[in-house]
Amino acid sequence: MKRTPLIIIGAAVLLAFVPKLGLPAFYDSLLYMMLHWVVLATSWNILSGYTGYFSFGHGAFFGAGLYTTSTLLARYEWPFLWTLPVAALVAATLGVALGAVVFRVKGVRGELFALLTLAITFVIGTIVVNTPIDGGNGVPLSGVPVPKIGPTQSSTFYLLALAAATVTMLVAWAIFVSKFGAGLFAIHDDEDAAEVMGVPTYRYKLMALAISCALAGAAGGIHALFLSYVTAGEVFTITVPLTVVLMSVLGGTRHWAGPAVGAVAITGLLYSFTAADHAIAGKAMIGVVLIAAILFMPDGILLRLQRVFRRTPPAAPGAAHPPSTLAERSTPTASTASTTGHGEVLLHVRGLQKSFKGVRALAGVDVDVRRGEILGLLGPNGSGKSTFINVVSGHYLPTGGEIVFEGRHLAGLPAHRIAAAGIARTYQIPRPFGHMSVLDNVALATMFGGAIHDVATARKQAMTWLDFTGLHEKANAHPDDLNLHQRKFLELARALASRPRLVLLDEVLCGLTPSEIDDAVALIRRIRDQGSTIVFVEHVMRAVMALTDRIVVFNHGELLAAGSASDVMQRPEVMTAYLGRPHLEPAHA
Amino acid sequence: MLEVHDLQVAYGAAPALWGVSLEVRTGELLCVVGPNGAGKTTLINTLAGILRARAGRIVFEGRDITQLAPHRFCEAGIAIVPEGRRLFTGMSVLENLELGSYLPAAKAQRRQSLDAAIALFPVLKQKLASPAGELSGGQQQMVAIARALMARPRLLLLDEPSLGLSPLIVQDMFAAIRRINAEGMSVLMVEQNVVMAMGVSTRAYVLEEGRIVADGAPDELLARPEIQRAYLGV
Amino acid sequence: MSGFTLPSISLLSQSILSGVFVGALYGLMGLGLSLSWGLLKLINLAHFAFAFLAAYLCYQMASKGVDPLLTLLVIVPAFFAVGAGLHWVMARFKVTPFNSLLLTFGLTGIVEAVIQTIWTADFRKLESSYGEQKFKVVGLFVPVPELITLLLAVGISLAVWAVLRYTDLGRAMRAAAEDAPIASAFGVNQKRNALLLAGTCASLASIAGVCLALSFTLAPSQMYAWIGVVFAAVMLGGLGRALGPLIAGTVIGVSEAITMAVTAPSWAPIVSFTLLIFILVLRPGRAT
Repeated sequence: MKRTPLIIIGAAVLLAFVPKLGLPAFYDSLLYMMLHWVVLATSWNILSGYTGYFSFGHGAFFGAGLYTTSTLLARYEWPFLWTLPVAALVAATLGVALGAVVFRVKGVRGELFALLTLAITFVIGTIVVNTPIDGGNGVPLSGVPVPKIGPTQSSTFYLLALAAATVTMLVAWAIFVSKFGAGLFAIHDDEDAAEVMGVPTYRYKLMALAISCALAGAAGGIHALFLSYVTAGEVFTITVPLTVVLMSVLGGTRHWAGPAVGAVAITGLLYSFTAADHAIAGKAMIGVVLIAAILFMPDGILLRLQRVFRRTPPAAPGAAHPPSTLAERSTPTASTASTTGHGEVLLHVRGLQKSFKGVRALAGVDVDVRRGEILGLLGPNGSGKSTFINVVSGHYLPTGGEIVFEGRHLAGLPAHRIAAAGIARTYQIPRPFGHMSVLDNVALATMFGGAIHDVATARKQAMTWLDFTGLHEKANAHPDDLNLHQRKFLELARALASRPRLVLLDEVLCGLTPSEIDDAVALIRRIRDQGSTIVFVEHVMRAVMALTDRIVVFNHGELLAAGSASDVMQRPEVMTAYLGRPHLEPAHA
Repeated sequence: MLEVHDLQVAYGAAPALWGVSLEVRTGELLCVVGPNGAGKTTLINTLAGILRARAGRIVFEGRDITQLAPHRFCEAGIAIVPEGRRLFTGMSVLENLELGSYLPAAKAQRRQSLDAAIALFPVLKQKLASPAGELSGGQQQMVAIARALMARPRLLLLDEPSLGLSPLIVQDMFAAIRRINAEGMSVLMVEQNVVMAMGVSTRAYVLEEGRIVADGAPDELLARPEIQRAYLGV
Repeated sequence: MSGFTLPSISLLSQSILSGVFVGALYGLMGLGLSLSWGLLKLINLAHFAFAFLAAYLCYQMASKGVDPLLTLLVIVPAFFAVGAGLHWVMARFKVTPFNSLLLTFGLTGIVEAVIQTIWTADFRKLESSYGEQKFKVVGLFVPVPELITLLLAVGISLAVWAVLRYTDLGRAMRAAAEDAPIASAFGVNQKRNALLLAGTCASLASIAGVCLALSFTLAPSQMYAWIGVVFAAVMLGGLGRALGPLIAGTVIGVSEAITMAVTAPSWAPIVSFTLLIFILVLRPGRAT
């Protein structure tokens, strides 16, 4: 796994010798542009490709860096190289300020985020043009001395760009293989589920944005002097963002090197047309390439090539997944489970309310869950059982009432803090992260719920959980390849991987065949036996009878009855709630 | 009138119906009951053309409609009252009803159908201009049933009409369904509320985990221990 | 930066009027985009390319002596076919809403290249009898090309609104946009309706293009200048609502005009985009 950074640095060192070859300036320019776009596309991808928040504002941050440098050079006569870190800082600050507001708003995702960032670009561009920063006339920089790094001026820029590109690629790779990167990819696939599993989504998005902007800002700073005459019109438009999007999509947004591949390909293509004096045809060609890419290779060139050259879909470099040895197979134990049997109240819920637009899903519910027990949550459809789970796990915020878990008040906390507190849940319709392997899905939970920081350890632990749930043969498969039963068990493995003290299961058995149900029941028992407390919503009555110590029955958002299963289910009010009250004369055949 | 032979339907990757066969005779009110996750909605959606069968045949009034395009099922004479109502909440009640009679044959009788719907559910008269999303659950259910009737079907499919409704409203709903059937409409209803459903139907099937496990007259089925056990576990 | 200057009443009124005219064009351009995005869930960036291509075609035919308004007879059906064809391709390949943005951007690039090849990057101005004429109403100048644009914009928006509101087809489109499977369960042939709508949107773009040719000087690079403002009008007006882009476009046009009259023209873009940002941040639900 450590090979990759060495390869990157090695390639950079080799490329650093290119100016010695004494090629005509055209090639210096071409190579500079390629590296320049590598930086822009790769930095864009760190936020947008990894998290799925496609930004059309990269031009704004690039421009911020560009204008920071030009202002410092022209107005304050700073030495050029010192302006670069400042350019990066200014761009990053701008990005974080924007992100702090925008990422708080839940509805702004997808196309809306793209448009918002585009709008911001135009606003900043207008401000720049109308204030002394640019003033509408541009900023001439031809008098500024270029530092002597390479034999010629153009080679200096080439080397600067090479350095920037190397740093950018290393950063992109480092994030890709780290826990931070795993979190970003989880946000891409299912932000809400990621949050519930412990990924601090808001913080991570801001961090990715900051890094992305800083790198773009640095590229802007370098470009300012390269251009030697800076104008706003070329920068604060839709061109820069669309180009980086194109390059990244073409190369593949899910891989750290994808955008670089796209950048080199597109720049080369464009330049070959310009050189042959067919700039216009070049633009058309780009359009054709983009269309073909979207239609036929929606995942990008790189991933398509990888699929062709390897049989199995690529895992991150260097990870092998042998089924764990017998020694490691010992049943994983929960961290601080006290096995002093039932008695102590683990979860204390009082007066819990949740309304959606006037519909009262939970109308004031009181539930106590005791440590070590298996509690069943029952009730007809629409009675509020799933809402209860959603509120306790933090997927929804309660509109009233309190939730106390191990003495801590949890109501109103963001979901990732609730996960960190020791509560995990499964979804009724499994929500695995579709683009990650089964192993990585579980590893994610280990890292974020279970607070493991390094990816390799997390994967090893994840493997033990896969063994526990019988999925170890599917470790490298993708969730789409699993059948419903396996996906439910994946949900279970993910929930357990964070070592929760309380596990909330939402209709885990629905859709399974009788023998699969037996397997699941046995598994749930094993989960309790190693120390977790379980609350589960279920309709399959024989499972409820077999597993639960106690049940509570919901009806119309309120608690109808509580007690042992066989006792409660025979009570008349419960039978009525389930089966209904007969009142019509049965129509005769 | 409707014959289903060996229907196999998959929902995504997961198979949901494993060879279901049943029949609806003209003029009867047939009920399919079963616990959650049994495949009831999958069955109804397939019969309405929303889902496509993987194998098996659906024969309606002598015509094999299994491979018809989704929008042709209504033309054939089948209308659905979906689970959870699924009204067009952005449109008014009247517009929902008008959409129900979108097809030319139904459109020609729109005026009469509208009058009949209001006669059946008088409370809708005041609500015609309201956005469908603002009605209560029970009222929405009425609109959903009326919408289906506007299509002038010969077979009415109802998916869990009692879902999410309070017991009193459910009684009214089932009374209306009985009335519709009494006027000659063939009805296929899937329900979780067993006793209520048995109370109105002439015949019933029990669906469990994607298969038909029992069928017969309602009183007879109600007495069987299988139903009690499947639903209550006791 | 010039400071704030308070213009005279007549200058202000004339500015507002020209803001209304340009706003009407924003609205007309945005109408097809809004319908496509709101009802078909496809963001068609090529909308602008279609408009400009239509503008150039109109220019070409006008320079051969054809009355610009008559060119609509040829242009509108031609673009209907193009729009329907594009939609068919995207539906066939199951292109997602975001990817539709990218794909149509590629198409825009191709069209731009074609335009530049045929008509070069030079500025082209359509010379027509309309261009010379103007009325004087209440002391304000009303140029005929702009008036034509306004009338077309208002007329077409109202017509589309009426169709969506009062006809079965309109209801079917709205229903399918909300819940396609249930709509089809009641007999709505959404595949066919979508092609119809896509074709109509392209035709609307072409009409906007003709209006563009009547009033503005054409250059291939100009395409991109409109994208931002028109998107702002579309989102402010609410997706899929026929009168939305017109009203929002007018609001934007007038506020831009006032801004320009009071400060400098280069400040104008800030109005629409700041409005857009506020809408997106404060009420994102409204735009979807």
